[in-house]
This record gives sequence, structure tokens and C-alpha cells, in this order.
Amino acid sequence: MRTVTADVAIVGGGAAGCYAALSLQKCGFKPLIICKGLVGKSGASLFAGNLVISGRLLGNSETQARNTAEFLIKYHNQFLIDQEWARRCGAWIEQVYYPELEELGLYFRRDDAGNIVTSPGAIRSIAANIQGNSGVPFMDLRRKQVIRAGIPRLEETVATALVRNSAGNIGGVFCLNYMTGEYVVVRARAVVLATGYSDRLHQRSTGTREMSADGLAMAWRAGATLVNMEMQWWHTNDIADPPCWQRMQVYPNPMLGSEKSARMINSAGEEFFNQQNDDPLAFGPYTVQLKALVKQVRAGKARYDGSYYAGFDHCDAKEVETYTTYGKAFRQLGLRFPEQLVETAVTSHYRQGGIDVDPATMRSSIPGLYAAGGVSGHSNGLIGLATYDGKVVADAIAAEFGSLVDRPISDTECETEMRRVEALRNRPDGGISPLKVKQKLRKLMWDKVGVEKNATGLNSALDDLEEIRLDALPSMAIASKSAVANYEWLDALDVVNMVEVCELIIYSSLERKESRGPFIRTDFPAIDNKNWLVANVLKKSGNGMRFEQRPYQLPYFSPGFDLRDNLQVAW
Amino acid sequence: MTLQIQISPRDGASRIGQAERNDSLVARNSRVEPGTNIVVRIRRQEHDTGHYDTFSVPYRKWMRVLDALEWIAENKAPDLAYRWICGSKMCGTCAVRMNGREVLACWEAVEPEMTIEPLRNLPVIRDLVVDRRPFEDRVAGLEPWIERPSAYAGFPEPLSHKQMKDASKALDCIGCMCCYSACPVIGLGSLTDFAGPAPLVQLGQTALDPRNSPAKIARSLALTGIFNCVSCYKCEEVCPAAIPIVSRVIEPLKAKAALLLPERARHARAMRRIVAERGRVDPGALILSVQGLRALLRLPRIIRLLLRGKISPLRTIFRIKTAATEPARRLLGREASQ
Repeated sequence: MRTVTADVAIVGGGAAGCYAALSLQKCGFKPLIICKGLVGKSGASLFAGNLVISGRLLGNSETQARNTAEFLIKYHNQFLIDQEWARRCGAWIEQVYYPELEELGLYFRRDDAGNIVTSPGAIRSIAANIQGNSGVPFMDLRRKQVIRAGIPRLEETVATALVRNSAGNIGGVFCLNYMTGEYVVVRARAVVLATGYSDRLHQRSTGTREMSADGLAMAWRAGATLVNMEMQWWHTNDIADPPCWQRMQVYPNPMLGSEKSARMINSAGEEFFNQQNDDPLAFGPYTVQLKALVKQVRAGKARYDGSYYAGFDHCDAKEVETYTTYGKAFRQLGLRFPEQLVETAVTSHYRQGGIDVDPATMRSSIPGLYAAGGVSGHSNGLIGLATYDGKVVADAIAAEFGSLVDRPISDTECETEMRRVEALRNRPDGGISPLKVKQKLRKLMWDKVGVEKNATGLNSALDDLEEIRLDALPSMAIASKSAVANYEWLDALDVVNMVEVCELIIYSSLERKESRGPFIRTDFPAIDNKNWLVANVLKKSGNGMRFEQRPYQLPYFSPGFDLRDNLQVAW
Repeated sequence: MTLQIQISPRDGASRIGQAERNDSLVARNSRVEPGTNIVVRIRRQEHDTGHYDTFSVPYRKWMRVLDALEWIAENKAPDLAYRWICGSKMCGTCAVRMNGREVLACWEAVEPEMTIEPLRNLPVIRDLVVDRRPFEDRVAGLEPWIERPSAYAGFPEPLSHKQMKDASKALDCIGCMCCYSACPVIGLGSLTDFAGPAPLVQLGQTALDPRNSPAKIARSLALTGIFNCVSCYKCEEVCPAAIPIVSRVIEPLKAKAALLLPERARHARAMRRIVAERGRVDPGALILSVQGLRALLRLPRIIRLLLRGKISPLRTIFRIKTAATEPARRLLGREASQ
């Protein structure tokens, strides 16, 4: 077991984690990044298709600036957001974020005359190099910034537990480098969890391979309060086959340099979503699309796992491909582009909820523990928002660094954790493989905790989960005892976290007795702003949990009704 | 089943290899019928000993190489080690060799029978997982970031896509190292100091960016051994991001290196001058220009070249021109003035 010391340990190498590390380094602190994948090459940030323009940037009108704020609060978060935070974030994106990125060299796509190419509409966006792939150069830039700044990175290293120091605060992270099998304990005055928005908890999920709700599980085990865990977002038109492309999206968003965007067709050949007709303001294609699909599924003209189609057959190939990558997937499957459509399916996407934080500081309910970006439960995602969280957490830690105590961490906790992790690798051969358990769990979440939920299904999901916990987990077996690049071992670690977090999601889903945007309860079909425009706060108590409600302030935007059928509401 | 080879009229020498790449995509996606099985042979390796395991995998619609690996790990070999993160051509971590050519596992269609091996030119950690460090270290060593010669003008700064057209191609790079594995010069190991195609593309992202300072670009280029590139186009052939690596990245970088680091480009510059002067390559003149009188120290080789008609002293001494001299001068001159 090797011990490494840093001022701040940051778990996660995406937009929030990198920006927090870079900001802290700039202020003279010593951050360290622990990344389960590779910094800038793993997690959700890579999937940023385009970048939303806020405020009055690039000729945005007053109306467009307001629309962007409304879009974030209403369509992205269904009002479950601190609107003051959203305002500060929007101002920062306008004044700091874009100029800073461009100064560093990020290429915002121009035309030959030198104008930045934007998408049209009430809310406009731009692209880093090319629409559909903006996250790649964006995060590559962050990776190189981190390298240039000399910030230490523990890559392909999984954080398995938060460790307390002798003052009782979170003061370190226990890690396993799964490429070498080495255990590393990072001791720090503060720990920032930045493990992302999206976890692979459903059969179809946009979460990448390494995303298995580790941040949430570690925080919960350490006693942190969680919030709105049930608020799950969905992609409505991701490619149905092949399986590994489940997070490849036929983007419904407005296209750069064109008035058109993808359209969707049901199994009867009827168009049921075309942004230009169904969502002309381009406010929230994701929610609007999902609701359109639910109606198709109920009419027997689509399934959540396929049998409906998306594409660009109403566009010119050139119109689509000048500024986007959208044609590439079609072509790679041997489809004629843009004439042919591709079969699509629903994929679980970002979670609006997560670790409960004070959005002014990103402080969690436990001293020494912070959460930034998607894993924090205060807003749903865009890469700019995650980045802003990275700034906020860095500012807060820098301001209160003096009051964060540097005490030795508990050796007993480290020893216990090491024994737990080691025991998983030494499981006897001959039982069920961790990957099989993962798939079983994902199927259960898909079948019973999918787009449309109800109490009967959720309760039955809890029973199935109990079976997995009691039967599958203890009989998990590992074929190879190698400590080097042993992904089976990693899967075993993952699945323990996944089971824990799935349970919290199911209980939270049962608790919210309404429907709201992408959260659809068939037994409570209406949005209930009178009782449920609140944070669904999940607190740990003894060995169990309890729920509390915390209302949201509505200083700028409010829904304007008490009760209305969710499917009849645009957002 | 007959293969339809689609070759578009645009396929010239610069698109070499792309005909095979597209052999065609329709054909590649319909070689196997759903319901039948494919045969997958995988190189397994831990420590120094390696062997191949063979698996029969049920084909499903549009199956990618990565799907086959996932099926094997879930159903037959839970201990199979292979790296992937995103599954959709963004992270660039799942590259392997399939039937001898480098592919991105998540992007490439399976074949009825395929042998999967780890990338070349990198140490193998276990099974298909290679150590990315030699590549990462080389990239970091090139310091691929921009240093502005003058202050940033504020958002949005003046810049056009025309100025960024080559850098923009390089920005499609996902660092998958397919080209690094396919490069025969990298395969020579420490015989050359060539950085390799992937690190050059990574560098090209900022070195071909007009906002970067020439001094910074020169410092980075000096570390690349770029003139060891033999322009064989192997890198371009395998690039899953379809980056024209030679024509749009390495060649423009070589041109920059010739300008910024003339002493490192003696061979390339001499060749260019000779072609412009005589309308053809004159190997004798080239040897004299680059090696000078040191060439005489290698007399046996000179004699061999003479006997095989590779060099002709008369032509060299009398600077005999061909009819292509005028067009060559025109072409090279035009390129030089660009």
C-alpha cells in the first residue's frame, strides 16, 4: 500500500474534475486527479456534441439570452434547481468560459469567412471543431492542460472508498490501480467527487464502461446526503444496434448552419417528431421527444428498445455533413446517407440528482467532502455547467483551505478496505461472473425502473434487487487471480456499488409521488407543483434511510400551475 | 457472396488504401447472416507467454468487433483483458489488430473469421491491453499546446476555417494509436528518432494552427524526427477517424519543418531543388547534395549504384534536364509561394 499526499484529491478526470484541479493549481495548491479511465478520455464529458451559447454572446438577443436560462431551469431541470446558481453560471459562461477556452486554443468552428458557425433558433449553440464531436477536442485540451500544469494523475485507478481522518472529516481516498494491482491511499485535506452524470445502471445507458455509480456509492457509505436520485433523463433516439453503440445518438438538436434537424418515424412509417414542427423553439428536444415517444409506445407504434427510426432523409447530405459528424455512423453501418433511417431506442442518460451540495460551495453534508459536476445533485448536464462547478468548488476550497484540518487518516479504515477489495479478487472460481451480475442488474433496471414506472414495478424491482444482493453477490466468482489488468476484479468492485445505488434510486422513485418531465409514474401521471416542486432529499440514518423535502425558490421562472398531466406539458 | 468494390473517381494516389477501407462498407456489414456464428481467435498473453484461444460467437445485427469481445467476456472467457471506455469512437482506447490490420474495435464490423491481436509497437500488459505510455510520453514531450506570439484578441478572435483547415483535420484525432501500430518506421524501434504518425497528428493540432508561434512550433518539430517518415500512407489506411494523415498533417508539418528547421531538412530540400531544376530526381545529385564528399567514403555502395544504373555521373555533372522541368518548376514554385 503506497501513500500519496496532496492538498486536494479529485476523483474524476472529466470537465468538472479537470477544471477544479487546474483552478486549484493556479491558486498555488497541490491537487491530484484520480481517474478510473484516462483523464479527458473517459466519462460523459467526451460526449458533448455542441456547446450552448449563453447570455448575449455572439449576437444573442435579449430574448435568446433569457431563453437559454429558461431552457436550463425548465427543460433541463424541471425547476428542481437553484435559479440563482443558474444565473451566476450563465454569467460566467458568457464572460469567462468561452474567452478562456479560445485563448487556450480551442477551435470554435468558423466558416471560410471567419464567422463562428451557430445553430439557428431560440437557443443557439456552437461546436468545437465539429458538431457531434465537440467533447473530444474540448477534453483533449483539458488533458493537455493538466499534463502541462504537472498535476499528478492516477489513471486507470479506481477509488473504492473515502477514508476519514482523526478529526472525523473525509481526509483521503483508498484506490486500486487496476493496471498494476497496486493499492494507493491518497491523503488530502479535501476530497472532491467529480465522477459524472451518467452511470451504466440500465441495459441501455449512455454511461461509459467505467461509470458504475462509484461516487454516489462511496459518498452514501460515508454518510453523505443525496438528492433527487429518481430524476433520470433519457436519450430518445440512440442507435439500437450494435450493442456497443447504445450511446451513439442521432442528435435531435438543431444543426449548425442548417434550419433542419433529425426526424423520427414510428413503426407504421409516420413521422412523430420533427424538431422544426414539434419543438420550433428548440427549447428542450430531449424531454419533448421522450414525451412524443411515450405516446407512440402507448399506441403500439414503437418500443423503448427499438422499432422506431431516426434520420435525416429530409435533408441534403452536404447540409448535414458540413458541420456535423452525424452521417458517419450511418455510413459505417453501410446505410445510404441520408436516404436511409436507422433503428433507434431509448437510453438512460444523465441523472439530474446526486450528492446533495450547497451550490455556492459544492460542499456536501460531510466535512471535507465536496462534489462537483454531474455527480452533485443540483443541476442536469451540459459541459459548461460541469466546468462551472469545477470553478466553484476550487474557489470554495481555496477560500476555506485554512480551516480544513490536515490530520492522519485512519489506518484501520484503509486496512479494512484493502481486505474487502482483496477478498473480491480471491473469490473462488465456479460461481457467477461479475459481468453476468452486472447485466442481470441492468436488465432489472431496464424492465422495472425504465421510462414508465409505477409502485408495483418498483416494489417488484426491490425484491429482485434483494435476490441479487443475497444470492448473486455472495456467489460471484473470479476466473483469474491476476492483479494486472483484471477487469473481472474491477467488475466485481463495480457491481457492489451498482446494487447499492440502484436501491437508492428505486426508493427515491417510490418516494416522488408525481410525474415530472422525464420522470414518468403511470400511477401518478400529473406534475404536482403544489406538493412536489421540492428536492427529494435522501438521508442516511443508522442502517436505513429517510426522506425529507426541501422547497426550491422560484425567483425568475415558475411553472404557473399546480397540477397538470405531465404528458400535456411541454417540459 | 460477391464483394462490391466501390471506388469513386476521386480516389487518386493520395487516397491510397481507402479503396480497401471501403471494400465496401455495405459488404462489410453484410458478410454474416444473423443467426450464424463467427469464429474469433484471440491472442492471450500474460507475462511473456502467449497463445491463441478460439471462440464461436453468435452474430447479431451490425455486430462490431467490440461486441464480439463483450460476448466472449460475458459468456466464455470472463478473464479476457481488453480496454474500452466509450464504445462509440470517441475515447480511442479499444484499438486492436483484426486479421492483421489495425481497427477500432467499437467501429469495425466483425468478419466471419477473425484473429484479434494487440496493437504492435507498444508493450502488452495483458491479452489485448497495451501500455499507452510510450505514446503518451512522446506526445507530452512534444508539448502540443499553443503559445501565442501576441496577446489574445478576445472572444471571438479573428480566425477562419481556411486558416484552420489542416489543424481541423488533425483535431479529429482520438489518440487510438492505430497508425502508431501500423507505422513501419516506428516498427524499426530505436533505429530512428521518429515520433510516429499519432504523435505528429497530436502535434499537428496546434502546430498547424495559425495562432501558434513559429518558435514554439520549431521547438516541438525539432523533437519529432519527422523526415524519417517515408510517406507510405499506412497510417492513413488504418485511421478510423479518416484523417488524411500524410497529405493533410505530416506533409504540411514537413513543409513547416523545412522552413523553420532548414538544417534538418537537407535531404528534402535538396530533392525539391533538384526536381525543380531538372524535372526529375537525380539520385547522384541528391547524394552529393546531402552527403557531399563524404559519399566517396562509401565507394563500394557507389559502385553498386553505378552498376545497377541507379546513378548516372554524366547526367549529374552536366545537369541534364527533362521535358518536365518547366511543369516541375511551376508546380514546386507555386507550392513554395503558398
